[in-house]
Formats: sequence, C-alpha cells, structure tokens
Amino acid sequence: VSLRTDTSLPAAPPFRRLLVANRGEIAIRVTRACRELGISPVAVHSDVDADALHVRAADHAEPIGPAAARESYLNIGAVIDAARRSGAEAIHPGYGFLSENATFAAAVEDAGMVFVGPPPSVLEALGNKLAARRSASAAGVPIVPGTTVALEENVAGVAELGFPVMLKAAAGGGGRGMRRVDREADLAAALTAAQREAAAAFGDGTIYVERLVAPARHVEVQLLGDRHGGLAVLGERDCSVQRRHQKLVEESPSPGITGETRQALLESARRVAGTVEFHNAATVEFLVDERQNHYFLEMNTRLQVEHGVTELVTGLDLVAWQIRVAAGEALPAEVLEAPRRGHAIEVRLYAEDPYHDFGPTAGRITTWRMPAGPGVRVDAGMEEDTDLRPEYDPLLVKLLVHADDRPAAVARLRRALDETHVGGLQTDAGFLRWLVDDEAFAAGTYDTDFIADRWRNGPALTEEERSLVAAAATAARRSSPASAPATTLAAGSAWGAAARREGLRR
Amino acid sequence: MTDYQVLVDGTATDPGDWQVEWDDRERGLARLVRNGRSVPVLVEGQGSEWFVTLQGRRVPVTVRTWRERLLAEAETSAQSHAGPITVKATLPGLIVAIAVAVGDDVEQGASLLTIEAMKMQNEVRAPRPGRVVEIAVAAGVAVATGAPLLRLE
Repeated sequence: VSLRTDTSLPAAPPFRRLLVANRGEIAIRVTRACRELGISPVAVHSDVDADALHVRAADHAEPIGPAAARESYLNIGAVIDAARRSGAEAIHPGYGFLSENATFAAAVEDAGMVFVGPPPSVLEALGNKLAARRSASAAGVPIVPGTTVALEENVAGVAELGFPVMLKAAAGGGGRGMRRVDREADLAAALTAAQREAAAAFGDGTIYVERLVAPARHVEVQLLGDRHGGLAVLGERDCSVQRRHQKLVEESPSPGITGETRQALLESARRVAGTVEFHNAATVEFLVDERQNHYFLEMNTRLQVEHGVTELVTGLDLVAWQIRVAAGEALPAEVLEAPRRGHAIEVRLYAEDPYHDFGPTAGRITTWRMPAGPGVRVDAGMEEDTDLRPEYDPLLVKLLVHADDRPAAVARLRRALDETHVGGLQTDAGFLRWLVDDEAFAAGTYDTDFIADRWRNGPALTEEERSLVAAAATAARRSSPASAPATTLAAGSAWGAAARREGLRR
Repeated sequence: MTDYQVLVDGTATDPGDWQVEWDDRERGLARLVRNGRSVPVLVEGQGSEWFVTLQGRRVPVTVRTWRERLLAEAETSAQSHAGPITVKATLPGLIVAIAVAVGDDVEQGASLLTIEAMKMQNEVRAPRPGRVVEIAVAAGVAVATGAPLLRLE
C-alpha cells in the first residue's frame, strides 16, 4: 500500500525508453523531462547534427538521414526505424516537424509504440484549419468572419467581407502561407504566392480567407487533457508581439484583456476542446479586438514553443504531464485545478537582423553567455562554436522570467538580457532589449502591429552608443597583436588583399 | 600610440574617454567604464574590421590607420567605375525562383531571385541598374554565402 499523496512524480517511470523525434532546444527540453521521470531518452539526428547538444543529452542516438529536414526529421520511415532499433516504447515529436502529422502518429501506433500526442484522427480533424473553423463555430465559439470553404471556391465572397483580408493556409501554421491583402487588385497575385508557399511548406496549397481583425491581440489558452475525459484549462498567454505573423514574445497573464474576457476565452477554449476526442497538451488561439471581442483562430494539439510561460505561472511540468497522460495516467486535482501565480514572460532569441526587417542571419556562434539567477529560465539548443544550419529553425534560445507581478517580470527580463551575450552573428536581442524599455510594452498596450508601428527597423544609434562602440573597437584593435600574422587575415577580405598588394609594392 | 580613424556605420566617430576592462579577451567580452558606470559589450573582428554588440545590437565598426584609410579609399574609387558586377548570395540557402532572364534590363532594387533560408523566402535585389548578362544558378540549387548568383553590366 502506497502512502504517497503527492503527484509530482509518478509511482514508476511511464516508459522505459522514449525517442525524441526532434532537434535543438525542444529535443533537450523533452530529454530533461525524460530524465526526471526515470525514462531513458533516445535522440535522432541528421548527418550534420551528429555532435549536436541534443544528441549528447540523450542516452543513445540514432542517425536518420541527411541535413535536409525532408530527408531526416520529416522522414517518417527513418524515424520509425530509429525508434524500433533503439527499443523505444514511445515517441515525443516536440513541436514543428512531425508533431501534427496524422500519418506519422498513425505509423507510430502501427509500430506498436505510443505517440505522445493526440490520436491521428484528432490531428487530421484539427490540422485542417478550415474544418476546425467550422466545428468551433458549430460549438458556439465566435470565429473571425470569412470563408469556411477554400478561397478558390468562393472568390466572390472576399469582396463581400471587405478589404483588408488575411489569406491563410488550410494546412498552415507558423505564419507560412499567410498574406495580408489590402485591395481587390492585389488578391490574385497574393493568392498565387500564398498557394505556392503553403504547397511548399505543407504539401497542400488550399487557402481560405478571414477579414483582417486589427488592431488585435493574439491570446491563446493552454490545455492539458487526459485519456479519461479530464481537461485542465491552464490560463492564457499573450503572444501579440510578432513579426511575419510569428511570435517573438509571450507572457501570462495577458496585460491587455479584462477578467471577463479571460473567463470568456477559457470557456471558448474548453468548448473547442470538446469538439474532439482530445488528450495531450494543446493550445487554442484567439484574436481579441479593441472592444474585447474574441475570435477563434486555430487549435494546436501539440506542445507550443512558448509552453514554458504557462509552466512558470502554474508550476507544472507540461512535458512530463504529456508523457504521463500518453501512458494512460489521469490528471490529478492538483493539475486540473492548478492555481496560477505571478507573471511570466518569454522572449525568443533568433538568428535574425531586426534592423533589416528581421531577415535571416547565419554563421558560427563565437560567444555564448546565458543569464542566470532568481526567476530566470534558459531553454537553449545551442552553445559556443555551434554552426547555425540554414536547413533548420533559426531559434537560438528562449529566455523566460517569472516574478510576482508584471513590472517585476519586466525588470527581471531587462536584467537577464543584459547578462546575455551572443557573438558571431546579429540576433534580435537588440530589439528585445529595446522592447523592455518601451513605454507601450511597459503599459501592456501593444497589439499585433506593434513591431510594424513602433519598432520599424529600430532607432538610430545615439551619440553615446556610437562613442561606446567606437571605444570598444579601438581598444580591441590596440590589444590585438601588433602585427597580426597573415593567416589571421580573413582570406577573402578586400583589406587583406589590399594589404598584401601594398606589402609587395614596397 | 597609433592614431586610428574610427567609423561607426560609415561615419567618423570620436571614441571619447571610456576605459575598457576586458573580462574575456579571447571571446571579446568587455566592459566600458566611466564615471561609475559600467556598460558590457562584446567585440569581434580583426585588423580594421570589427563588430561591437551593445545591448544586443551588433554594430560594424572600422578602426583604421591613415595608411589603411588611403588604401580603402583607392579601392572604393576603383569599384565605383561602372563595370560588370557579380551579385553574390549574402546567406546560404536554396534558390526557389529566378525573376529575370539573361538580357533583361533591371532597375536598382528590382527583384532578381528568391533564396529560401531558415524556412523564409528572401528576395535578392539589384544593387544598381544594369543588364543581366549571366545567371550562374538555377531554381532548386543550394548556394553558400558568397556564391556568385548572376552578373549585371
């Protein structure tokens, strides 16, 4: 007879071995949950990732193919074979890659393993955003006005909605296949571009249209469901700070909704979850307009990038619960009624240049210093001397902070960013550091147009900043070896070539 | 001590009287100290070309001797004479679309081709007006940073 009354750890490990079908920070996050649960974690890797951090974190690693994701991390056969070879009992897909792929989930089950996620039928039902719109609407949840059929079948309907509109991919996610269209004249070209992008990203070019809701906040609700009908509604996250419709900053609670709106969102999320036989972690996304009306956008039945925000305010380990629920455990009252405490903020460091439209940057990380101290969490998949791969997501690290209230969380975030140093490439850290000092962000009054309206491509350097960087570079040059050997000159640099020519001329 | 000319974003800048304390010279970590204030920075580079990251912003800084300045100015003036230029990839990725053909006249800023990198589509634009005389890549080809894409005359 067990005398245990606590539920923070299961009585026995839910699985002996679990394969993590992902890479980078999320693979490490899942691996950590496995370690704490007493599960032996197995990594997979493409050829270029053989020495990656996520591989070294695991007990065992299986190669699954070449660098291109299509041939490795998206290769269902290769991942299943790797799981079989390693003796894994379950597969956790992380986010992205195969995490919402119904064919993959079915293949995992057919191979006699447990998929840490919802049943394939649920992935299929919710993966089609158009179908999800229809069923949410049928459940009495408000949806953004727009088409509920493919755009090609109802182009006339677009004019009735009125411009501007948003084009979205039925199979979409991550902002790809999304286009804002301001005039009817631009519709045809935007549709072609969106179809091409969606077809390339998802293998399905179906596009639907929604009226543009702006200004709006993007607020989502975290859910956790078990196989026995238990459903935990774990509060919201505000993800309104976005570029290219992709999130950069997430926080909970949302500073921009009333208590009444929050209750309405939580209730709507519960209703959407009720439309499917759902278990696992999931997120229901909404837009909230100026008048606090909310509209269902989509439901993602997987772990979100920003799940850590909810973990900080609830104290729950969502990844561990995903795994325990997958093994059949019922959610206890401590989870179903988990109280939320304080305020949490996450910022994402990307290999992107915020001074040039957040365009991609690349290179080798030459310096990597991460923050620490009270209330700071660092979820990273990189380290010093990592070469960034153009094949994969440019996310470098998620910095999360937790404090008693929002002003304290913002102050903590400022301090954490000041302790963060990434060298070798431009990142969006300059934007994030600017953000924590911005008045609108401090007031919590931002919306999804925040970056376009307030940041644009960032402020000009101040006189003091110019003099600081000038002083640092001058000191660096003075402290480098007086006559640098020729080998340290960048091989292709114009100055190097000119210096060599000059040297020969004398 | 050698006198240097310092350019921040291409503009001559006075470094002022900040003192520099190195915390890790090899990894470029330092603090600038003055009047009881301490500002952390990260410095990378060599020779005359440096990057200084201040509060997350990575700023290119040129620190050059007068001799280097004369050389650089001579090179710039040589390049500014109209001649063929090679447009190169500024990031590694996959060519997904080519918007021009050999013989096309393009304006400065015109879209030339699209490179997909980090799952994003990036337009490569004409750095100046000209005629496309050669295209070195095709759709579906992967390119490395610095790879020649096409030539403009």
